Amino acid sequence: MTALPAPVLLASTGVTGLVVLLLLSVGGAHLARRRRERRDAARRAELTPLIYTLLDGEQTAQSLVDAPAVLDDVVLHLLPQLRGHDRQVLRDLLISRGVVDRAAEQISARAPWRRGRAAMLLGATGSTRYTPDLVTLLEDRSPDVRSAAARALGRAGDVDAVPDLLAALTAVRPVPSGIVGMALLDVGTAALPALRAALGSGTAPARALSASLLGLHGDLPATAALTAALDDPGASTDVRRAAAGALGRIGAPQAGDALSRVAVLAVDPALRSAAAEALGRIGDPACVAALAAGMSASDLRVRTTCADALASITPEGRDRLRVLGALDGPAAPAARAALDAVSSEIPRSLTGAH
Amino acid sequence: MPHVLVVDDDPVIADLVAFRLGRLGLEVSVEADGEAGLAAARALHPDLVVLDWMMPRMNGLEVCAALRADADAALARTPVLLLTAKAQEPDLERGFAAGATDFVAKPFSTRELISRVTAALPPGSIQA
Repeated sequence: MTALPAPVLLASTGVTGLVVLLLLSVGGAHLARRRRERRDAARRAELTPLIYTLLDGEQTAQSLVDAPAVLDDVVLHLLPQLRGHDRQVLRDLLISRGVVDRAAEQISARAPWRRGRAAMLLGATGSTRYTPDLVTLLEDRSPDVRSAAARALGRAGDVDAVPDLLAALTAVRPVPSGIVGMALLDVGTAALPALRAALGSGTAPARALSASLLGLHGDLPATAALTAALDDPGASTDVRRAAAGALGRIGAPQAGDALSRVAVLAVDPALRSAAAEALGRIGDPACVAALAAGMSASDLRVRTTCADALASITPEGRDRLRVLGALDGPAAPAARAALDAVSSEIPRSLTGAH
Repeated sequence: MPHVLVVDDDPVIADLVAFRLGRLGLEVSVEADGEAGLAAARALHPDLVVLDWMMPRMNGLEVCAALRADADAALARTPVLLLTAKAQEPDLERGFAAGATDFVAKPFSTRELISRVTAALPPGSIQA
């Protein structure tokens, strides 16, 4: 057997040593992390009841000012799930522990995660004092920070930030529509006047999102503006579709004529489908003729949506489906499928498990 | 002493609810998922179930429907209070259709929860 040359032996021994060292350091770090997690869990278990007694009025925020930092994790976990007096007590606790002031200092930190956490904390306080800082973060170079700032503005519930949130949809560094939508929902019904205004004069994405949110709120006073947006041939298809969906959610029968026109005459199949779906939600028998006319559309999706909408209007819509289903032509299969779906419907109350 | 079963997969929320109800002098049991909650309800026959909707294994609606369909008539009549973030109009319809007695929407107020628990239990069962 030939002995390895000394340099090779030395190098292989060195590499082996390095690998062992690396494994030891990884193992050590893992153990240290486990130990830290166990310690934090034990501290959390010890401190959590103190928060409960604080909410019960048996403890003051002052008595918890110097408690370990893991207390803040529990508070931040609870905060979004509570409201009213409970939320106020927890906010006061964060303020008295200096969490909020420290977060404000971190808002211009170099690391994006620090800026994002700062935004989250400032939003959790529900104070409007930091709205200008959070609005600035809506244009942060990090998309995560922009999203955190948007959610924080929503949690803070500052109505004055609604135009800024809507503007963030089309900024150079935009915030996704879903994030802005959630933030605006967090602001609650106080945002409705600003959303109605944006529906009339905002950018296309702002108008579309405003329409959707007005629908989710079931905002009856917005019916006329939503109908105008639906009828506006100059508006983008997204805006008109969102307006149709909102009118359906609101259940506004006074929008029946406009929705019927769109369901029958619009060019875009997605828009026609949205209008037909809205008519089904409204359930006004006066719209059966328009939906039946929509069933002669060349687009399968339009025919299917019209059929489903007719199926939800009883008995007039289903009667019309039976007639259409018995005839020849493109409407018949969709009509029969909609009637089959209705007859085999599982009680909706027990479906869609969450 | 009335017995309340709290079923919520968020241990901090479950403990908070148990703590506040315990302070009212109620006997409180806690379970962390729907399946365990249903088993506990069958074993303990609580006077009230406080039930989260979105839970692993079996959601709150399924638990509620199973309770209502239980062969034990007394258990089938147990008041169920849904404590849930799902509190839009269609959710309320589905919840009541599944047999819920009442709703508390998350984010919630523990004071409101206590009021609704008090209202769901027989009058006089909680000493003020």
